[in-house]
Amino acid sequence: MADLALHSVEKTFGALKVIKGIDLDIRNGEFIVFVGPSGCGKSTLLRMIAGLENVSGGTVEIGGKVMNNTPAPQRGIAMVFQSYALYPHMSVRENMSFGLELSKTPKAKIQERVDIAAGILQLEPYLDRSPRELSGGQRQRVAIGRAIVREPEVFLFDEPLSNLDAALRGQTRVEIARLHARLGTTMIYVTHDQVEAMTLADRIVVLNGGEVAQIGTPLELYRNPANAFVAGFIGGQQMNFLTPEQAARALPDTALPDGTETVGVRPEHLQQVTGGGIEGTIDVVEEFGEYALYHITLDGDALPSVTFKSSATGVGAMGDRIHLRADPQHIHAFDAGGLALSVPTRH
Amino acid sequence: MMNKSRTLNIALAFMAVIWVSPFAWLLSTAVDPIATGQLRFPKELGLNNFAQALTGESLLQLWNSLFIAGGTATLTLVVASGSAYALSRLKIPGRNAFLWSLVLLRMLPPTGILVPIYFAAQSVGLLNNVGIIVALTVLNLPFAMLLLKNFFDTVPVELEEAAHVEGASLATILRRVVLPMSKAGLAVVWFFTFTSAWNEFLFPLLFSRTEDAFPMSMGLYSAFGRNGSIQYGFLAAFSIIYATPAVAVYFLLRRNMNTGFAGVGVKG
Repeated sequence: MADLALHSVEKTFGALKVIKGIDLDIRNGEFIVFVGPSGCGKSTLLRMIAGLENVSGGTVEIGGKVMNNTPAPQRGIAMVFQSYALYPHMSVRENMSFGLELSKTPKAKIQERVDIAAGILQLEPYLDRSPRELSGGQRQRVAIGRAIVREPEVFLFDEPLSNLDAALRGQTRVEIARLHARLGTTMIYVTHDQVEAMTLADRIVVLNGGEVAQIGTPLELYRNPANAFVAGFIGGQQMNFLTPEQAARALPDTALPDGTETVGVRPEHLQQVTGGGIEGTIDVVEEFGEYALYHITLDGDALPSVTFKSSATGVGAMGDRIHLRADPQHIHAFDAGGLALSVPTRH
Repeated sequence: MMNKSRTLNIALAFMAVIWVSPFAWLLSTAVDPIATGQLRFPKELGLNNFAQALTGESLLQLWNSLFIAGGTATLTLVVASGSAYALSRLKIPGRNAFLWSLVLLRMLPPTGILVPIYFAAQSVGLLNNVGIIVALTVLNLPFAMLLLKNFFDTVPVELEEAAHVEGASLATILRRVVLPMSKAGLAVVWFFTFTSAWNEFLFPLLFSRTEDAFPMSMGLYSAFGRNGSIQYGFLAAFSIIYATPAVAVYFLLRRNMNTGFAGVGVKG
């Protein structure tokens, strides 16, 4: 187990700078999630930590040692790939023991570690099968098992759940969380799915265009996004962004800070009112059972569409008119550059 | 209708006779110890001709053929897999143009480059069976490289990265991951090169300076009209033995194609 530190890490491919100076301190045993849209550099950053990509600038330190020029096998890391990268010509047991064999671990020790990992991951019945004969979820567990048996200092996961269907994704997510609780090893996890980030992470690193947009615990990012990008990216549903004029109607008694260009309100922080507020027509109702999402076109405005989340009944149907206000305790104000301004009414 | 199908049957039977008769001649002559070269049922049956074709000088020719074909196939495979792997994995500018221009060279008739190859072999003292292996390897390489490169391209890079992270050296990755996954491709290249070298006549004709070094293709050629008369039975048996590897390769390949060609790599 080890701390991990990035100091002004940069990566360039030819003239293209994909990682633009990232600083990050990861404490021993932390579960860190890199999240961001595709092309934000999150996988590249992970591969630089793994030693699969050269570092163009700055330093990568694992356990206090600079690892920039250390080959991947000597970094004490294990990586789980998006496609699992299981060796198709080897059985599950051979897949899991390959790395230990290479490091000349005694046979008995290999057997013991593979059996323990198989136990943790419920893979005992499949040890002699070929990866071809396994389902996607089982293959995923073999890939994780292969990482566990090496007892690494740091686990790296590169979008490990993106090839699974929704139900299995939820289940495997819980298994990974359990695994982290059990092993206590530092884990770095890359995903584009903010749900995985919110549910798994001790701290989330939101990346955008090769730069850190914000680092924080899931609740910090949800409650206090540092900028409009993080505000829009984190959260179950996309945040609504209102113009100051719309905000004045949605928040009649609230003074917004100077320089406010947009006001962010999450769909769950809008409230239906009988009159006043912002007004529009319901276009689409998405019914989830426990709650519903109402997509509303506002009357004649520059930002015409908002989403309203409510578990109340009788909100309205498609084509109905609706009036909404925002909860002043949960609003976010952003300046022209998209940076968050402090809002006095917020808790 | 009836008439039409009868005419068709007769026509087909005629075709079949034309098609099959050389093989029938070959087989009946080979098992006839007193064959005269006529197409007829053997008066007596025996394997003397085969025994003769598998002893003495003929046996030596079989060994020479196996040496040339096996050597060419193996050398081609070793050199081609190394270079094809590099071409598959390294982003060398113009690598495809390079590969296809090699294949274009291969399209030229080998006879066209015979003279320079001959003098090259002469100047380094390789006018022997080793020289034939080297020359045939050079001729077979482009196609083998092209085929193997396409096979290596289907092995996901992530598998190699996974092995690298687990501590495998490049040699280990090749030996334990890439080559086992390309087994079918390696087999195809080996067998095809083997047959093409086995069938080769031109290079042995020029390079083999002594009768001890003759492969079977040369042996068959020189056996015509030796000692004044033609030993039809011996020649037929010799031809059958000479044809055997091609048939064996066909069956081996077919099995390999069924098991190995599809389904390289495990995804989602």
